[in-house]
Amino acid sequence: MATPIIPPEFDPALVARYDVAGPRYTSYPTAPQFTPSFDEAALRQVIRASNEEPIPRPLSLYVHVPFCMSPCFYCGCNRVITRDIGQADRYLERLYREIELAAPLFDRDRPVRQLHFGGGTPNFLDVPRMRELMESLARHFSFSQQAEREYGIELDPRFADGDYVHALGELGFNRMSVGIQDFDPAVQEAVNRIQSFEQTQEVIVAARESGFRSVSVDLIYGLPRQSVDGFSRTLDQIVELQPDRVAVYGYAHLPEMFKAQRQIVAEELPDAGTRLALFGRALAQLSAAGYVYIGMDHFARADDELAVAQRAGTLQRNFQGYSTHGDCDIIGLGVSAISRIGDSYSQSARDLTGYYATLDAGRLPVARGLLLDEDDVIRRELIGELMCHGSLDKRRFGERHRLLFDEYFAAARERLQPLIADGLLLEDRTSLQVTSPGRLLLRIIAMCFDAYLDGQAHTPRYSRAI
Amino acid sequence: MSSKYPAGRLPEPPSPIADDGDETHFCGTCAFSSACIAAGYDKPELAELQCLVEHVGPFRAGEHIFRTGDPFRAIFAVRGGTVKTRMVDKEGREQVLGFYLPGEVIGLNAIYPEHFPCDAVALDTAFFCRFSFPAMSALASRVPAVQKHLFRMLSKELGSASLLAGDHSADERVAAFLMDLAGRYAARGFSATRFHLSMSRGDIANYLRLAAETVSRVLSRFRNQKLIQIEGRELQLLDPAGLRKIGQALLPD
Repeated sequence: MATPIIPPEFDPALVARYDVAGPRYTSYPTAPQFTPSFDEAALRQVIRASNEEPIPRPLSLYVHVPFCMSPCFYCGCNRVITRDIGQADRYLERLYREIELAAPLFDRDRPVRQLHFGGGTPNFLDVPRMRELMESLARHFSFSQQAEREYGIELDPRFADGDYVHALGELGFNRMSVGIQDFDPAVQEAVNRIQSFEQTQEVIVAARESGFRSVSVDLIYGLPRQSVDGFSRTLDQIVELQPDRVAVYGYAHLPEMFKAQRQIVAEELPDAGTRLALFGRALAQLSAAGYVYIGMDHFARADDELAVAQRAGTLQRNFQGYSTHGDCDIIGLGVSAISRIGDSYSQSARDLTGYYATLDAGRLPVARGLLLDEDDVIRRELIGELMCHGSLDKRRFGERHRLLFDEYFAAARERLQPLIADGLLLEDRTSLQVTSPGRLLLRIIAMCFDAYLDGQAHTPRYSRAI
Repeated sequence: MSSKYPAGRLPEPPSPIADDGDETHFCGTCAFSSACIAAGYDKPELAELQCLVEHVGPFRAGEHIFRTGDPFRAIFAVRGGTVKTRMVDKEGREQVLGFYLPGEVIGLNAIYPEHFPCDAVALDTAFFCRFSFPAMSALASRVPAVQKHLFRMLSKELGSASLLAGDHSADERVAAFLMDLAGRYAARGFSATRFHLSMSRGDIANYLRLAAETVSRVLSRFRNQKLIQIEGRELQLLDPAGLRKIGQALLPD
């Protein structure tokens, strides 16, 4: 259903009041709910069932490359720091084994519509290795031949050049996501990531020359030594690079969980007020440059597919944030990768040792997962709707899922009351509507509908809402 | 996560479960009720005739109700769930013979050979009424209407194979298959335009003698042509007349 998209309105006082930890709902239920009881047999079962639907879903592949040449201190990703390409070869050996085990389980008439290489640093792999990997994937899966296919890769411009990007284009990639974070030299030094504007520009220009359909860039606010002026200059430079999409993530300082972050001097982190001002500046400058706010951390040019899908009411939430291909079954390949097949989630072993051991034993490396029950499916759809389109027709939703909305979600609606009083959303008899200020606090709204947070203190395992 | 029926959850829609009878009343969809009632035999009278009907199940998806070669002692009326019948040849190749919906009867093709000539496998959780066949034939000899009804079911069973006969396109076969299901659901008082496809696409393809990819391709085309809407296994016929037209060569008038 097409809905008018309300632009966000930045109210620092309101955002500050709701500055609590919360999940980003790239999945629902969220990863902490996955359990080891979802094992290889369960995964094979859901795959079989997915092949037997009248029209099996197309596929989306996620390939995780966990290696990085050098540690960025803010990082909370699953990665291994090394310069030893031999490590990558040992990893690729297992990755090929996983592809050989997993691919035949999916019927060959299911096209790979979407492919995403994430990390770590996918461009840790040189061109010959990348070519071999793509050839292996193309041999074992049925790559879509349609122009609308989205084959993307995350790129660290410090370890890639124009030639590398041209080669990626020849291998079939047509989307690129470029890590930047901040161009301010003081910040770059504090987070151990020295990356020039020119390096960044080179890969983006090369992507355009090679016919990449979309380039997105990642920024982070809340980093040590970050200032509004410095970040503002970075934003000007971003606008100059003309990416199609911009992600602006909030840095979550959780040194007890992520070892790399212990290198960050806590005293150098911006205070809460500065954090808010940084995000406010990003919102203002990107909006002025013609980007629309999609939701959560994401901005896109008004003519980008994400923005178009949002206006058409067909946007979906997935592990990469937002997607126009939500109808795919997602197959995660590589260490720690998450799959979403039918009404299930599953995640591979998160450490290389465990990942290697299962594959060496000839088994799929699934370590934990979850089979969604009816309530999970209902709430997943509701949270997705609110995060993607900011509104919900309660009656239609109720009809679709055979429920009396107000009664079924009585507890959630109770939790929404203070948010409604604060003007984050409106509720009447037939609908829920996120307001302009509420659009910046989507995860706070979504948390009200999370059945697993019922009566539970919000643990700091999640990053802050803004 | 939540309890089985949380507050605010509405009951199942009028779903294909033929299980509304009790000791004195037939289930609304019972294959034999109209024949018996028309002949003046209501359930208590049948009980007197010792025509005992036994409720069996649940059978889970993949479980056999009977196997090829089992001695024939009873026929089974589906109360809930869906069943496929199939034969497996010496090379282990499966051939799906048919699908049975609530209110329909399986085992009729075993009457003459006196052993089951095929397997019956539950496609989802399935329940049955088991009619002891010796008792059933005794009843048929006393109640001509029951006998007539048995014959009618037998001839229908024979006729159903015609959906596959002849040289017809994949579009014709799939359209006829959907309209056949719709008609059978409607005959039992269920929705003729919205139903759950319990059978896998592999089973549908096998039954229609098509490749699995072809079944999906045809369904995708029907979806693009707005003839159907399909979400997972939930099917809605948006243009039954259009489908009927495509499948008419295979459908009874």
